Parts: sequence; C-alpha cells; structure tokens
Amino acid sequence: MTRWEPEDEVAKDLSALRVHDASPERVERTRARCVAVLAARRREEARGGRAAPWRAWLEPVLALGLGALYLAEAVTRALAVYR
Amino acid sequence: MDREIELRLVVRLKAGDPAAFEAIYEAYRPRLFGFLARLSRRRDVAEDLLEETWLRLVTRSETLADDARLGPWLFTVARNLYFSWRRSRAVDEARTSDLDPAWPAPERGDSPFEAAARRELERRVETALARLPLRDRELLLLVGVEGLTPSEAAEACGVPAVTLRARLHRAREKLVAEMDADRAVARARAG
Repeated sequence: MTRWEPEDEVAKDLSALRVHDASPERVERTRARCVAVLAARRREEARGGRAAPWRAWLEPVLALGLGALYLAEAVTRALAVYR
Repeated sequence: MDREIELRLVVRLKAGDPAAFEAIYEAYRPRLFGFLARLSRRRDVAEDLLEETWLRLVTRSETLADDARLGPWLFTVARNLYFSWRRSRAVDEARTSDLDPAWPAPERGDSPFEAAARRELERRVETALARLPLRDRELLLLVGVEGLTPSEAAEACGVPAVTLRARLHRAREKLVAEMDADRAVARARAG
C-alpha cells in the first residue's frame, strides 16, 4: 500500500480518531504571546517606516564620508613612512 | 483548508495581520496538539511544543514563501521541535507513556451502544499507536490522522518519498498486528 485509499479500514480508523486540544489556559496564553509578537513587529515596522525618509540618505552619506576619511588617513600615513 | 484561503492567509500573516494568525491558529491548533500529544504521549510536553511551534510561525512569518503550505510547514516545525526535545532530554521511549488514554473530549450524538463501540475502537487504535516505535507512529499520525500526503510527510520527515511510502506500508502492517493482538487478548479475557 503506497496511498491511503478511502475504503482502507485502517485509514478510516485513524482519520476517525477524535481531535483534542490543549487546555483553555494554554490556548489563550499561546494566542496572547503570538499576537504580542506580531504587534511588536508591526510597531517596529511603523517606527522604521517613519524614520525611513531621512535614514535613507543619511546612513549611506555617513558611511561613505567616514570611509573616505579613514582611507585618506591611511594613505597619508603610508606616504609619511616612505618620505 | 481551502488553498485559495490559505494563500491569502499566508500573505496577510507575512504582513503581520493578527486576524490571519487567529484564523490559522483556530484551524491548525487542535490538529497540531493531537499530533504532538500522540507523538510524545505527554500532555505537558505537547503543550510546551505547541506553544513553541506557534511562536516559530509568527517570528518567522516574514520569511514564509508566498505559496507556503501551512499544514506541512507547521507539522514539520512541530515534529522537529519534538525530536530536538527528545534529543536534549535523552528520552527513554518506554518511560513516556503517561498520557491519559481517556482524553477529555465531547461525545458525539451517538446512541449508548454506538458510543461504547466507538470508544472501544478508539481505545484500540490509540493503544496500538502508542505501542508502535516512534518512527512508525509519526508516519501514521502525519498521513493517517492528520491527512498530509505521503510527499508532504516525506518532506516533513526529511526522507525521500519512496522511502516514506515503504516505511508507511510497514508501519500500517505493524498497527494492524498490534490491533489484532489487542483484539485477541480481549477475546481471551472474555472467553
């Protein structure tokens, strides 16, 4: 047998087993924790979204500027050694 | 769950919609709990792992594929969490049998005779399932009880579909043998 046929007695017995659930307290606790995670994510995204207009250009400019300064200083020091 | 509805729920869950989570939670929670409880045979462990499974879903929902199938995804996570728990505790299979066989669940509207016959059949199936080796039990639970296709179950178990089908066939035979043995014992006691 490679598939569960509808007329298969074992398949019928297995699929007829009753559905059970966790305790109501646990069901509620799990729901609350998950909803809190989703809410936190949405808050985080909302904050990120508000900050986006200025962060979008400021971050690359800062990174580029600091990188250029570091490179210039490195080149200056290297030249000073060979002079 | 209807596939169209499922696809819409996935998109909404990825966007962090709590209503989508609620719908998925209501649809899959009892099935996941039953799977974990029958796998672990411990209600407390099943409840812990159930909670962890749902937390995994919400924390990773952004990374779900748009066409993700929620059932196989959830059962895969639940199964992997169970096996991780087992490894971490070095669980002895013979000692994990404290699940109360008399599950608290509402009775259907059967006659007393029908209800008694159904309870007896359920008891026999649950007992036979509980006696099977874990690897056989998980296959029967995923495919026979929870209705995953053999291909989906193969993905959940991390084995090729051909291997799973062969294992499923053997697991089914073992279950039948256990149920027959149980029936024979019952007849011997009655006679």
